Amino acid sequence: MATLELSVPDEEVAAPVGRQRKLGLLFWIASAWVAIILSLAILAPVLPLQNPVDMDMLERRAAFSAEHWLGTDGLGRDELARLIFGARVSLTVGLIAPMIGLVVGGALGLLAGYFRGRFETLVVGSMDVLLAFPPLIFALAVVAYLGQSVPNLTIVLGVLGIPAFMRVARAATLTLARREFVIAAEALGASHARILLRELLPNVILPLLAFFLLGVAVTIVVEGALSFLGLGVPPPMPSWGSMIGEGRDSLDVAPRLAFLPAAALFATVLAFNLVGDTLRALTDPRQGAL
Amino acid sequence: MTNAAALARKRVPIFLVAAFALATPVQAQKSGGSITVGQELDIPGFDPLKVGVYDTSTNTAAAAIFDTLTTLNDKGEPAPKLAVSWTHSEDYKTWTFKLREGVTFHDGTPFNAQAMKENFDRQKNPANKCRCAFYITNVKEVLAPDDYTLIYNLTDPSINWPAVITIQSSNNVIHSPTAWKTKGDDYNRNPVGTGPYILKSWTAGDRMVLEKNPNYWDKGRPYLDRIVLKPLPDAQSRFASLQSGEADIIWDDENDADNIMKAQKDPKLTVHTYKGSGAAVYAFNTKVTPFDDVRVRQALVMAIDRPKMSQAISNGLSRPASNPYGDGSWVKCKDDGALPFDVEKAKALIKDYGKPVEFKMLVTATPRGRMIGQVLQQFWKRVGANMEIEQVDQATIPTRAFTRQFQLTPWRIVDLADPDPQMYANFRSGSPLSLSGYSNPELDRLLDHARVTADMGQRSEDYCAISRLINKEAIWFWTFQNTYYALSSAKLKGFPKMYNGVMDVSRTWLE
Amino acid sequence: MLNFIVRRLLAMLPVLLAVSLLTFLIASLLPGDLALVILGDQATPENVAALRRDMGLDQPLWWRYLSWLGHVVQGDLGRSFRTGQTVLQAVAERIPVSLQLMLMAEFIGLLIGVPVAIACAARAGGAFDRFMTGSAFAMLSMPSFLTAILLIYLFAVELRWLPATGYVPFTEEPLANLRFFVLPALTLALAEWPGIMRVLRSDMIATLQEDYIALAKAKGLKPSRILFVHALKPSSLTLVTVTGINIGRLLGGTLIVESIFALPGIGRLLVGAIYTRDLVILQGVVLLVACGFVIVNFIVDMLYAVLDPRIRHGHA
Repeated sequence: MATLELSVPDEEVAAPVGRQRKLGLLFWIASAWVAIILSLAILAPVLPLQNPVDMDMLERRAAFSAEHWLGTDGLGRDELARLIFGARVSLTVGLIAPMIGLVVGGALGLLAGYFRGRFETLVVGSMDVLLAFPPLIFALAVVAYLGQSVPNLTIVLGVLGIPAFMRVARAATLTLARREFVIAAEALGASHARILLRELLPNVILPLLAFFLLGVAVTIVVEGALSFLGLGVPPPMPSWGSMIGEGRDSLDVAPRLAFLPAAALFATVLAFNLVGDTLRALTDPRQGAL
Repeated sequence: MTNAAALARKRVPIFLVAAFALATPVQAQKSGGSITVGQELDIPGFDPLKVGVYDTSTNTAAAAIFDTLTTLNDKGEPAPKLAVSWTHSEDYKTWTFKLREGVTFHDGTPFNAQAMKENFDRQKNPANKCRCAFYITNVKEVLAPDDYTLIYNLTDPSINWPAVITIQSSNNVIHSPTAWKTKGDDYNRNPVGTGPYILKSWTAGDRMVLEKNPNYWDKGRPYLDRIVLKPLPDAQSRFASLQSGEADIIWDDENDADNIMKAQKDPKLTVHTYKGSGAAVYAFNTKVTPFDDVRVRQALVMAIDRPKMSQAISNGLSRPASNPYGDGSWVKCKDDGALPFDVEKAKALIKDYGKPVEFKMLVTATPRGRMIGQVLQQFWKRVGANMEIEQVDQATIPTRAFTRQFQLTPWRIVDLADPDPQMYANFRSGSPLSLSGYSNPELDRLLDHARVTADMGQRSEDYCAISRLINKEAIWFWTFQNTYYALSSAKLKGFPKMYNGVMDVSRTWLE
Repeated sequence: MLNFIVRRLLAMLPVLLAVSLLTFLIASLLPGDLALVILGDQATPENVAALRRDMGLDQPLWWRYLSWLGHVVQGDLGRSFRTGQTVLQAVAERIPVSLQLMLMAEFIGLLIGVPVAIACAARAGGAFDRFMTGSAFAMLSMPSFLTAILLIYLFAVELRWLPATGYVPFTEEPLANLRFFVLPALTLALAEWPGIMRVLRSDMIATLQEDYIALAKAKGLKPSRILFVHALKPSSLTLVTVTGINIGRLLGGTLIVESIFALPGIGRLLVGAIYTRDLVILQGVVLLVACGFVIVNFIVDMLYAVLDPRIRHGHA
C-alpha cells in the first residue's frame, strides 16, 4: 500500500509558471490512455455495449467470441461492458474524492500558511490526528456502518485525502508568502482576502492540481481495494476492484476474469501517476524530487 | 443405497437392519494419528452467555469437546449418549431421562442431573439475558430429583423431544459448572465438557488443538490422538489446503461447486454429502410496502427460475426447494402448493398491482451472498421489479430481522429432526421470529395441531397444508434445499452424516 | 537536546488525546446499537434498556468518553463482548504475526532496494538506472491486492511452490511458517522497495559528487570500495528514517495482505471486529495502532533531529 499516503516533502516550493521542460513520449502515451478511459467511461451509456448487469446464466465464464468480445464473467455477464462501466465507477470516485481534498485541504493549507500562528498549529495538529488513523480501516469502518454507496465512498475517501492536500498547499503558501509580489501587495495595503485570492491562490493552485492527479491514482487504488474486499460500490454495479475480487474465485478456471480488470486498473493508475508526476516535476524546481 | 434397498427401507423396516449389516463391510477402526480440519469461520467461543448461539464451525468443535444427552444414529433416530434411556408422559409434555453414571468432566467434576440442571438454569435465567434463552422458551423447567434422573417439563407437547436435543448447539451441550464458575470471563475460551476431546491450546484466528480424552466414558473411543481445527474463510484456499495435505477434511458448500466437482474426480479425496431437511429461505416483511400486497409477493416468487439459478450459483448442484421441509424430511407432500415459475403471470401480477415495485433486500456481505443477491435481482428485473442489494454482515441479519428493519431478508431453516420448533417459531402469529408479520387463524390452528398430534401421518398432512398456505400467500419463499458438504482425504474414515450441517470429526479415524 | 525531546513529547499529548477522542466518536456515533447487537434474538425493549443501563450507554456521550479514557489510562481497554478476551489479550495474540510480516517485508524490501539503488547510483543515467527507475515507478502504481493475486496465481496456482494462504506459528514449525510468510511478505516488499531505492539512489548520487569521493578516486581506490565503504554509509541516513516511517505505516496497513493470505494478524482482527460490530475491540485496537503510529513518528522525528541538528532549532 505504498501508494496509499500522499507524501510530499514539506519544503516543496511552487515555481513560477511557464517553465518549459520536455514532456517525453511516456507522458503523451499516459495522457492518451487517460483520455481514452475517460471518454469510454463518459460515453459508456451511448456506446453499443451489452447491458453490464444482464446475465446469461447458462453462459458462464464463456470464452472470447463475436458476441462477447472479452467473454462473460462468473454470472454470464458481458465482460467488456462490465470493464467499461467499471471505469465509470473508478473514475467517478477517483475524480470526485480528491476534489474534496483539493478544496478543503487546499483552503486549509492556504489559510494556515498565510495566517500562521495558533490557526496553523491547530490545522496541522488536527491533520496529524487524521493521519494517525490507519486510512483503510477508517474507510472500511465508515463504509461498513454507513452503508455502501458511491456518495458515501466518495466522501470518506475525500476526507482521507484532506491532510495531504493541506500539506502541499501550506508548503507552497509558506514560500510564496515571503516572495516580493506578496510583500509588495501587503505594503500597498491590499486586504487579506485580496492577497489570498489574487496573489497566492493562482500560484498555489498549480502544484495542487498536479498533486490532484496523483490523488486520483491513489483514490482509484483505495476504491479498488475496498471493492475487492466487498465494501466498495454495491452490486450489481461493476467496479474494477469488485471484478478482480469476483474473478479471484475462478483464478484457476478462468484467470482472465481477474486479470483483465487488474490490467485496466494498473494501466490507469500508472497513467495518472505518470501524468501527475511529470506535471509536479514541472511545478517543482528541484530535480528528481521524491 | 440401491433403489431396491431404498424401497425396502420404506416398506419393511426390519429388513433394513439385515440389509444394512450385509451391505456395509466391517471397517476396522484404527487408533492414533491426528487430523487438521479446515472450517469456514473463526470460533468466537463456547460460553452460551457470551456467544449466544453457536455457528456451524463452533458446532464442530463443540461436538468434540462436549457431549449431549442424546445423539442421532445413522438412521436419524435418537440414540443414547449421556442419557441412557428416556420415557415421556401421556401428553408428551414431560420427558424423563436416565443419565449415564460414572462420567466426569475434563476438570474432574462429576457429571450428574444437578450439573445438567445448572446448565439449563443458567441459560434460562432472565438476569443472564442469554440470546440462547430464546430457543428454550418451550421448556418450563428442568428438575433433578436424584443424581441420575432428569426431568424436562415443557410448555407444549413435543413428540420428538429426544431428537430435538441432539444438535451440538449452545443449548444442548453440557458444560462443567465448576469451570464456568471458577473461570468467569475466561471460560468462554477455556471450555470444559465431558466429550471425547480436551481443549489443549487455542490461538484466535489460527488454530485450536484438541487432544484425546483418555478417560472418555465410551471405552475404545475416540480414535484420533489429536484434532486441529483451523479457520480458513476463503473457499479457494481451504480447498488448496486439502489438496496439499495441510488439511485432512474441510467444510464446503455448494457455491464452491468448481472445487466439489474437482474433488469428485480426485481418487485421493472423498466428497461427503448429506441431503438434509430444511432449505435456504427468504422472508417478506408483509407489514411494509410493497410486500403488504400478495400480488407482489406472488409475482416475485413466480419470477424465480430455480434450475437456472442453480446452474448460475453452483453449476447445478443446488436442489430446488418447493417447500420448507425438503426431501430429507419425513414430511412428504403430494401437493405442497408451490407456485410455478411463470414470467408472464408474474409480469401480469406486477402490472395488476399498478405501482412501481421497488425494495431493498438484505444480503450477507460475502461473495456467496452477493452472488445470490445479484441473481435474484436479475430475475426480478425481468418481471419489472427493482431490487436494491443492501449488504450487511452476517451478525447484523438476526438483529435486523428481529427488529423488523427489513423488507426482504434471507433466513435458513436448518436441518432439525422435527419441523415443529422452526415452523412454529417462524409462522405462529405473535412469535418474535415470525418475520413476515403475517397472521392467519388457519395457519395458527394447523401449527398448534401439528405440534400436539402424535400420529406422524396426520402431522405430515398438517405440515403439507401449512406449506400450501404459505406458498399460496407467498409470505416466505424457498430457493434450495439444504445440502451439506465436507471434502476429505480418502484416508479419513468413519465420518458420520452431517446432521444440521455439523462436521462431527470426533468419531473419525485414519486408515 | 533534552529540551527538544521534552517539547516534542508534550506536543504529542494533545495529538494522542485527540486521537482517543476521534476513535471513541467513530465507534460510538456510527449507527447500530451495541445493545441490540449483543442481545440479538433477545432484544426486547426491556432487555435493551436494561443492558444499555448496565453498559452505561444511557449516560451522556462526554461522560462515557471520560470514563472510557479513565480506564484506558489505567491500561484497561475493555473486553470483547463476543469472545470475552480483553483488547490487550487479543492484540498480544495477533501482534507476533503482524510483526513478523512487517519485518520480513521490510527485510525483503531492503534486500531488493539497496543493491538496486547502489547499482543505479554507480551509473546514474545509464540504461540499468533508467530501467530500474521506471520499474520502481510502475511498481508504485501496483496496488497490493493486485500483486497478491498475481503472486498467488503464479506461485500457488500455477507452479504450486508455495501455499496460497495459511499460517503456523514460528515456534511450532519454523520452516512451514516461513513458507507461509514468503508470498505475503513479498507482496508488501514489492511495494516497499521502490521507495527505498529512490531515496537511497538520490542520496548516493549526491554523496558521490562530494569532494572526498573525488579524492578517494584520485587516490586510486577500487570503485567497489568507494561505493560500499565511502558512499553507502553517509547516504543511508535518510534511508534509516524512511524505514522507520514505513514500519509505522505498516502498523495499520497490512490489512489487505492479511485478509488475502489469511494471516491472523492485527489487520484481520480489525476487519473481524468491524464485521461483528465488536466495538470494544475496534476502538481499543484502532487506538493502539494510532498511538503506535504517533510514537513511531516521534521516534523518526528524534532520529531526524539527531542526524540533522538544524531541525532542533528550526521549525518542526
